[in-house]
Amino acid sequence: MNELKTNWKKILYHNNTVGYIFSFPFLLGFFAFTLIPVLVSIYYSMTNYKLGQSPVFIGLENYKNLFSDDRFLNSVKVTLIYVITSVPSKLIFALFIAYLLTQKHSGVTFYRSLYYVPSLIGGSIAVALVWKTIFSRKGLANTILASFGVPKLSWLGEPHLAMGILVLMSVWQFGSSMIIFAAGLKEISPTYYEAAEIDGANKWQRFTAITLPCLSPIILYNLIMQTITAFMAFTQAFVITQGGPNDSTNFYALYVYNHAFKWSNMGYASAMSWVMLALISIITFLLFKTSKFWVFTEADQ
Amino acid sequence: MKIKKLTALFLSGLMTFSLAGCSGSKPAASAETVSKDSGKQITLRMAWWGSQTRHDATNKVIELYESQNPNVHIEAEFYDFDSYFTKLDTLVAADDVWDIFQLGGNFPKYIKNIEPLDGYIKDGIINTSDTTENFLATTKDNNCSQIGISIGTNTYGIAYDPELFQKAGLAEPENDWTWDDWKKDCITIKEKLGIYGSSKIDHFIAGVTMRASQTKKDANFFKKTNDGIESEDPAPFADYLKMIKELTDDGAYPDAGAIKEIKDIEGDYLVTGDAAMTWVSSNQVSSIVHASGRNIKIAPVPRLTKNGPYGMGVQSSQQLCISSNSKAKEEAAKFINFFVNDIEANKILNGERGVPIMSKVREAVVSQADDSGKIIYDFVDKIGNFPKEDSNVISPDPKAEIEDQYKLLIEKVQYGDVSPEDAAKQLLDFSKSKFQH
Repeated sequence: MNELKTNWKKILYHNNTVGYIFSFPFLLGFFAFTLIPVLVSIYYSMTNYKLGQSPVFIGLENYKNLFSDDRFLNSVKVTLIYVITSVPSKLIFALFIAYLLTQKHSGVTFYRSLYYVPSLIGGSIAVALVWKTIFSRKGLANTILASFGVPKLSWLGEPHLAMGILVLMSVWQFGSSMIIFAAGLKEISPTYYEAAEIDGANKWQRFTAITLPCLSPIILYNLIMQTITAFMAFTQAFVITQGGPNDSTNFYALYVYNHAFKWSNMGYASAMSWVMLALISIITFLLFKTSKFWVFTEADQ
Repeated sequence: MKIKKLTALFLSGLMTFSLAGCSGSKPAASAETVSKDSGKQITLRMAWWGSQTRHDATNKVIELYESQNPNVHIEAEFYDFDSYFTKLDTLVAADDVWDIFQLGGNFPKYIKNIEPLDGYIKDGIINTSDTTENFLATTKDNNCSQIGISIGTNTYGIAYDPELFQKAGLAEPENDWTWDDWKKDCITIKEKLGIYGSSKIDHFIAGVTMRASQTKKDANFFKKTNDGIESEDPAPFADYLKMIKELTDDGAYPDAGAIKEIKDIEGDYLVTGDAAMTWVSSNQVSSIVHASGRNIKIAPVPRLTKNGPYGMGVQSSQQLCISSNSKAKEEAAKFINFFVNDIEANKILNGERGVPIMSKVREAVVSQADDSGKIIYDFVDKIGNFPKEDSNVISPDPKAEIEDQYKLLIEKVQYGDVSPEDAAKQLLDFSKSKFQH
């Protein structure tokens, strides 16, 4: 009994115990709602599981079918177009605003919070609905065009315009990248700029020779985070365009959702999710690989 | 000492769990005892899809029932159509479907989750003496088991604004007008008035299922056995796609973007005055009339040929079902009986889901109908008097996926990616492939 008691005390008063107790709620959620479902989905991806029916094992059939599914290949294509257009535009815009907001002006903090607002409400249904109304037939965008005498456009009816609207919405939500850029810009020592100024470098030269290299690790971070977010774009397409017109905005995540919840093809949707994971991993890996050519770190200067 | 206390705590916790498990494993018994002892509280979960008008009316009926049956509490959930079925599918997977739920012609997919009502009708809990065998048959499955009670019968039609027709110099649609007439009217309206001829059409019904039934008497797109496709000739479907493409190019029919802007029937282009016609389910007419504030009439759906079959009858638009895993099936059945038979309740519901099947209830609802309501009842009677056809009103499991594929094909045709002929062939191939397992 005594021995048991001391053993128990040992466990109870061990440094790590408190840590485990406090992390228990998170761990429970992580195992029950993340890890186990993720593992189970590997199994489902190899079955013909439909909601409400019992799964039958079919091996790699789902994965094979994916590559002969035109709608799937199209969804990969449009998602890549979205990522390639939205991420760089968003980062350039975020960097530009961050640059402006780190200058010494009065009321800069106010503007900084103001520009962060779109990101706070960014992924929500409400903003998507507002966006949809702005670009509707009689919406704000067409009213402005009309006041310049330009004929109305069917924003949501033209495949390229519809994609453009979604990219624009993504760029508008530049706040979180901007905050990170702003923090990075403040880290750059003013002595570099002073030295460059004395040497007669103009603003653009200072920007390309000092700001960009010093900021490159942060650019890499933002690039990777935003790429992953862009790959998972769902709400905008779901609310504003429903994947249309003509599947031009049928993003990967939306197509997975439709298969899983609209048509109950859980097995097929699971397989799609795993292909998406592979795709994002490969692209992230490639981004990291290229980073040694353009990311400047103090360690290897 | 501490460890003993902990063990005791753990064990007592375990016992509570297992006790809860016990009571859960005998749901039928516990529900019965509860229903006999009216002092105990019963909670029923109920869900439906629909518009705001329907939500408000249904909630009022639930309140009425609760005030008459203080021991029953009904938790209501309501959604729009798409979210409703997404939610239902997840509940089916979790074996946790609402006690009372609304279903339409797609019930075969959920047959395992539906409690047959035959027993409750025999025991007199659900009183069906006030309706006919024909109406009951609209909500029976292939084994003649009563899977639900219809809470409204409907049929489709084309709602139009007679004043706009007059302005465009057009005669109003006849009972036997054809799709060619419809197309000409659309073009004339666009030409003369500069608005869309027609707002959103339910392409899958107009261009596929009903169209198949219009080619030949008693023909169907889905086999009556619901295990395959009956249609083999792509030509009638191709003609429809071609017509829609021409009208879209002409501006007489909204493009894909404009279609997406229509959120609900109150925002339909006929209501806003941007179109002279629209596709409606008969129960939607009064919403359209009230929302537009104009004189709106309803005509039958156009036919393929002037003297050809109409291709659609009056059908149950939706029904109330009891979930097979409900713990209070008898109480649920009592509520359904109230919902379909109670005059007061149906005066509140006001036939918004369709024409009631119980004759006394129907009389009560018709007598309080305003002009727009009368239009509906006259129209449903008119279609009901068309020659009887053997059309399949039940949707097989893969219908949702086939319908979505068809929507994509229409857009592909509209944007010129695929020819109407190829799209029609693809529709048939895709549909067939969904029935091969």
